[in-house]
Amino acid sequence: MSDTPIIDLQNLEKRFGKFTAVSNVSLSLRQGEFFSLLGPSGCGKTTVLRMIAGFQEPSSGQVLIDGQDMSDIPANKRPTNMVFQSYAIFPHLNVGDNVAYGLRGRGIARTEIDQRVSEALDMVELGGLQSRRATELSGGQRQRVALARALVMRPKVLLLDEPLSALDKNLREQMQFEMRHLQQSLGITFVMVTHDQYEAMTMSDRIGVMFNGELVQVDAPNVLYARPRNRAVANFIGGMNFLPADAKEDASGALDVTMPGFGRMRIDQNPNVTARSAQALVGIRPEQLEIAADRPADYDAVAKGTVRDVAFYGENIHYRVLLDGVETPIAASVPNYFHSIDFKPGDAVWLGVQSASVIDLGRDS
Amino acid sequence: MFKLRSDTSRGLTLAAPATLYVGLLVAAPLVILVAYSMWTQTYVSIDRTPTWANYREALTDPLVRHLMIRSILIAGAVTVATVLTAYPIAYFIAFRARKKTLWLLLITIPFWSSYLLRVFAWKLILGFNGVMNSALMVTGMIDEPLTFLLYNEFAVVLTLAHAWAPFAILPIYVSLQKIDPSLLEAATDLGNGAVARFLRVTLPLTIPGIIAASLIIFIPTVGDYVTPSLVGGSDGKMIANLIQVQFGAANNWPLGATLSLLAMLAVGFVALVFALGLTAAGRRIR
Repeated sequence: MSDTPIIDLQNLEKRFGKFTAVSNVSLSLRQGEFFSLLGPSGCGKTTVLRMIAGFQEPSSGQVLIDGQDMSDIPANKRPTNMVFQSYAIFPHLNVGDNVAYGLRGRGIARTEIDQRVSEALDMVELGGLQSRRATELSGGQRQRVALARALVMRPKVLLLDEPLSALDKNLREQMQFEMRHLQQSLGITFVMVTHDQYEAMTMSDRIGVMFNGELVQVDAPNVLYARPRNRAVANFIGGMNFLPADAKEDASGALDVTMPGFGRMRIDQNPNVTARSAQALVGIRPEQLEIAADRPADYDAVAKGTVRDVAFYGENIHYRVLLDGVETPIAASVPNYFHSIDFKPGDAVWLGVQSASVIDLGRDS
Repeated sequence: MFKLRSDTSRGLTLAAPATLYVGLLVAAPLVILVAYSMWTQTYVSIDRTPTWANYREALTDPLVRHLMIRSILIAGAVTVATVLTAYPIAYFIAFRARKKTLWLLLITIPFWSSYLLRVFAWKLILGFNGVMNSALMVTGMIDEPLTFLLYNEFAVVLTLAHAWAPFAILPIYVSLQKIDPSLLEAATDLGNGAVARFLRVTLPLTIPGIIAASLIIFIPTVGDYVTPSLVGGSDGKMIANLIQVQFGAANNWPLGATLSLLAMLAVGFVALVFALGLTAAGRRIR
């Protein structure tokens, strides 16, 4: 395998009039990677995808696919194929003709087209449905046809624009696994745009988080979850308690932080943080907190408080606890073991946390 | 207080005005027409003995056959000319124009003047001393007025193509407007250039619009008699002119009714074949 990135975005920028939709995005994707662009709506992630596909021209910067500059290559000549958010199944064609669409007019023999179409349909578990009318398909089937229609072209890169957003929850979870499996068995690079953090985390090798047209952090899902670069990323992925803290770097390079309620502790520096000041911000994931009636032993820091709200989520119970002398409530989520803990609003409780679970988020801004 | 009634009676009540309207203004005249076609004109009175004589006469008369075929051919030419010129306009409004409403309004402007006036306008433009000939003479492109502009089939086709344009533009525009832009992007994504994309996606998806436009134009054109009388000359006469004569100067209503019914059948048949044929052709595009 060559070291050339399959996709190389160089200082990509897109302006619509005075509005900058995408600013200075640089990104290299490895061959065979499942990459997700994650961000709230309007953050520019779809614009990036469309610039890779060739539907939008960058205002400046370049898109390289497999080392080749795409600036002068129109969308219909690029080695990419796309699964559209609406699936864009041709309503006047049946399933087989939809999947064969791109192969026809390429001078490929009819028998080969038929064979490739049937393979592609088998791949998405729609084998034998060639003559089904496009208008008779369910949402999940349309999604599979769109996938087969793109994959049958054997693209170097498959682009997916919110591919699961139109499906209901159960189907969506099933398709997450299926698409991941398909991607791994084919070895094709997938670039997916999504606003759903769980979708991005369950499927991707790496995730690029975008806010306001900027690519803020690119990392593997577990790194993104454990070491987010700043408050925005931490807030977008998973739940997070934010605590303002005084922080000093000590001789060993660790941070000496003082947090409201929990007091003082030493935590590791987050290598992803770039902006720092003495007024620091730390984060604690709700599920990293222990909640107990008595002062818990073996924790690096504990805090005393009162339960304010309880929410039952089935697999978890979420508590919001007001720490003594602290205004903002702290969220703690504990697995529901059917027996153990069951606090009610007003109960006095202790929270415990290990120093490894306290995330340095750099400057409070 | 309004009384609760059964769904059936409420449905009938709601349908009553439309039923009355269709019954009085469509079905009744049609029945009268069929009745007349089976009667006979005897000088000033009508012989009401049922007979197929009018049909026999109409179907064997070479003039009727000639005018019928010519009417259908001229109407076909008008339809083709109108749809071909309307399609690009509709395409422009649907995909390129920024102020769609303004454009649609502009398209309907010819309707603000009378149909008859528009036909006369073409007479003024195409006539012996008309705008066209004067302009060509002044610029020295011709030495004497062209005579082939007016009083022939060409003049009829041109005049009607202009008159019908909005009727073709609007249904085609609607069918273009309904196309999901992502379908066009998908075609591009799958390797199509602009031409292939148009032929494989846009065109098949607008066939219902094309059929609607064609029928809206073709059916009334076959029966048009004003335009052929005014700009058609003797070459441009159509079946409706003959029908008009039967109900007027010739004073033979039964034959006129027969010709009307035969024209309706012919138009219906051609329109059906056309619509089915175009739909089938569209299905073959893959």
